[in-house]
Amino acid sequence: MRFIRLPAICILCLWAMTRAGAFPEFQRYSQRHSGVPTDCAMCRINPGGPVGSEFGQIGSLNAQDQARLNQARAALNPGQVVDNPILNAFGDRIVQTLGMLNVLQLRSDPAGLAPALGTTSDLDKDGIPDSTEYLDGTNPLDPESGKPGLLLGTRLARHWISLVFAILALGLLLYGLLKLRQGVVRGDE
Amino acid sequence: MPSPTAWERIGRFFRERFPVEKLSYDELVRKKTVPIHRRSWGYYTGGLVLLFLLIQVVTGIFLLFYYEPTATDASSSIEYLTHYVPNGEFLRNIHAWSASFMIGFLLLHFLTTLAMKSFERPRELTWLAGVLLLFLTFTFGFTGYLLPWNQIAVNATKVVLQSLVQASTFLPGGLARLPLDVRLALQGGESVGQPTLSRFFAIHVVLLPVLLAIILGFHLLSVQLLGMSQGVDTPAKRYERFFPSYILKDLSVWTVAFFVLFFLALSIPFASFLPYPLTEPFYALGPTPAGIKPEWYFYFVYYPLELLPFPVILAGMTVIMIGLFLIPWMFRKSSRRALTALAVAGALYLLIITIFGHDIYQLVRGGS
Repeated sequence: MRFIRLPAICILCLWAMTRAGAFPEFQRYSQRHSGVPTDCAMCRINPGGPVGSEFGQIGSLNAQDQARLNQARAALNPGQVVDNPILNAFGDRIVQTLGMLNVLQLRSDPAGLAPALGTTSDLDKDGIPDSTEYLDGTNPLDPESGKPGLLLGTRLARHWISLVFAILALGLLLYGLLKLRQGVVRGDE
Repeated sequence: MPSPTAWERIGRFFRERFPVEKLSYDELVRKKTVPIHRRSWGYYTGGLVLLFLLIQVVTGIFLLFYYEPTATDASSSIEYLTHYVPNGEFLRNIHAWSASFMIGFLLLHFLTTLAMKSFERPRELTWLAGVLLLFLTFTFGFTGYLLPWNQIAVNATKVVLQSLVQASTFLPGGLARLPLDVRLALQGGESVGQPTLSRFFAIHVVLLPVLLAIILGFHLLSVQLLGMSQGVDTPAKRYERFFPSYILKDLSVWTVAFFVLFFLALSIPFASFLPYPLTEPFYALGPTPAGIKPEWYFYFVYYPLELLPFPVILAGMTVIMIGLFLIPWMFRKSSRRALTALAVAGALYLLIITIFGHDIYQLVRGGS
């Protein structure tokens, strides 16, 4: 039975990955949940999706890339290092964290992707976990992409020393200008 | 006594409005005063526009060190600047935020000077220069928007240039060619591409700055020569010296404004207000992504364009644009109270359409 199941899953994976707009459920969910437009660039190298002959699409792959693709597709279980030539770092991270089998299962429940990924991974190091960016419809690989309010919080925490010095400089400058003006006014009188 | 000739009248008109005899240290520095009254805060709005313009110039020069004005490299050069150049992202954010602040304060300056009736004789030419500066600044915004060559930049530019084709269908006779010629001159070809980018870049970094320097120079000099306008109906009871008292206050305002800009540029990337598919490099073969819009400071014309028939907006905008130049003569006899009401109505329209434009559009059209 095991000999039949494994090839069947592999064939299922191959079929799923080569379809136009493969895994659109996750993108659709992200868009619906966040209310902002998203595209395939969240997980893939090419924003137009995997099918085609442009860079990062299946038609453009050479033999070496094709081998990498097959190897990535065979990463059925969590923990395997993935370097898929049509996925970006976030796509690879999803497969590496969950394994292809779980990814396939989550297609029917795309809301489950965020909790399954957890909150430890932050590929763009913007302070917002990748799973939150998935829910917010922002790019987990672009530190400038994120909900403005969340970015404000994480950046304030990161740059607070700069801000304290800026406030100090502001206060001193305003005090100096005030005293200068008072002196001028007094001199005029 | 013989009546003055046309040339004499013209000469008198310009001498009164541009009194070059006041071009002295005594008049411009020692004797110049600024009225103090309840609307004095309006005097600081022009200075703030100047501050943000100076920031634009300085940060723009630094951006030029890295920016590649080619359709193939523009987007990647900005990505390189943002992610690999030390403080590049901060620099870019300062440029983007200060552009928005500059336009915001320019609109505020326009409305306050309208409410204060600062266009009164002999300040008509100062007003005309100000209106030209307003249009130049919007053109700066429009041309600068294309330069990152990303999805929103190229597609929004296409929409604006396409509207010129639409405009030509409503114009009579030979006038119908004008928008098409303007479009071709800006676009440089049949569609938006490398020639368009080259032209927008040249306009943004050479042509507009030169024009701006000339007109702004005239505007500032005429403000200095004629002094601050009265601003209120009853002449102010108190005055302060322009130098150094007012200048020091102005510097304090600049300091606070610069801190706010620094804080925002450090804390919130300007690009984070856009959905990420719109900031991806422009992909000519792909579909147009959803959510293409101009910058927020064009919403006052963008949403009405989406909701009302094109000829209505075309006629309305033409009347308003011509009307802006004629304000000093149209409202010569209007009271400051009436002008204030007009300015407040204008401010409310700009605020409502900018903040709630999308919601109003959805409400009317019933879609997203």
